[in-house]
Amino acid sequence: MFKVAQELIGILGIDQRRLRLEWVSSSEGARFAEVVTGFTEQIKELGPCGLKQAA
Amino acid sequence: MAELANLIEATSTYFCLDCGVCTGSCPVARVFPQFSPRQIIERSLYGIEDFSDESIWDCLTCAQCSVRCPVNIDFPEFVRLFRDEAHGRGYSGVPTHNGMLQSIWAIQTMDIQQNRTFWVQEGKVAEKGDIFYFVGCRPYFDVIFRDIDAGSIKGAQNVLKILNACGIEPVVSNDERCCGHDALWNGDEETFKRLASINLEIIKASGAKKVVFSCPEGYLIFKRFYPKYFGDLGFEPVHILDFLAEQLKEGALEFKEYEGVVTYHDPCRLGRMAGIYDPPRELIMAIPGIEFREMTRARENGVCCGTSGWINCSGYSKEIQVERLSEAAATGAGALITACPKCQIHFRCAKAASDLEVDIIDLYDLFSANLNISQ
Repeated sequence: MFKVAQELIGILGIDQRRLRLEWVSSSEGARFAEVVTGFTEQIKELGPCGLKQAA
Repeated sequence: MAELANLIEATSTYFCLDCGVCTGSCPVARVFPQFSPRQIIERSLYGIEDFSDESIWDCLTCAQCSVRCPVNIDFPEFVRLFRDEAHGRGYSGVPTHNGMLQSIWAIQTMDIQQNRTFWVQEGKVAEKGDIFYFVGCRPYFDVIFRDIDAGSIKGAQNVLKILNACGIEPVVSNDERCCGHDALWNGDEETFKRLASINLEIIKASGAKKVVFSCPEGYLIFKRFYPKYFGDLGFEPVHILDFLAEQLKEGALEFKEYEGVVTYHDPCRLGRMAGIYDPPRELIMAIPGIEFREMTRARENGVCCGTSGWINCSGYSKEIQVERLSEAAATGAGALITACPKCQIHFRCAKAASDLEVDIIDLYDLFSANLNISQ
């Protein structure tokens, strides 16, 4: 399902790096922080998504 | 309720004779007796129908009732207007596929740069020209329904191959949007209008005088509903089957031998709603060696593929589909030919859950595979 969603946003012209799926167990607090921080940084780097209402 | 009175007025529902032919004809009512078009109309006429009524979303809008109605009540149109009013009050059907399709068409109302023409490959297309091929949602369907091997994009490639063989290099646009058919039948007129106005702009910019459709829904919506909302379109919507039937008559189309027995499923938008019954049959029968057999319920009586508008797909849908596939198999045909990408998806899904031995073939895949491209 994730691969489908990623492919679909690609066709829609949305950067595929904006979608990520990671599995983190409840015992992996540090890894959770790492994943979320990393993803947040990546999204910041990509900047605003740019989806706006067509004129 | 004034709104209810308005939609009774708009669809002349007050002519209802209470004969029940609608419910007797309804494929949903056959498998789900609580659903009754007749009762929906009756409740509306007595002013006791409520916009929160969930059964309005179960209608397939397949028009089996309206073609048989002795007083010509357009029940699918009644349902569409009812849904539009209900949608405005916050009600909706149950979206299938977790609302994926609804999200896709909502995003397409935005200012986006799609990558939807990846499938063109060796086909010949143009940037501008007289003829525009409106591909429809096949690029998205291809991804979503890969698990049931729907082959949606192969159909588009084959349509293009056929057009190219007829000497046409159509415009295929990366900016094309969903035609809005499903948004409209989901009661979301606002989204429909946004999608439609973007499409009209894109087609205008291409300079096209004719827009060719292979999807019955796209054709119907451009032919009947775009003019209703936008007036004169400035181009002519053409269904490719009408075009190909014409080419066949002129001798510009030739097919190779095909060995096998096939039957054909009339999509509701193409048959009952657009009146295109003969062209697909003429074209199939023009293939040498093919044996064509009709199902018991064909043409005006061709039963629906079980679900529409990406809402309210249920066990009842599956029952309708499996019954239809059994009907196809009972003709002795090895293959059921479909002319709508959605019928294709719905039947393949049902087939995957049954042990029926009947192939489901897209009409354009059949034509393309048997095309004689010597001329």
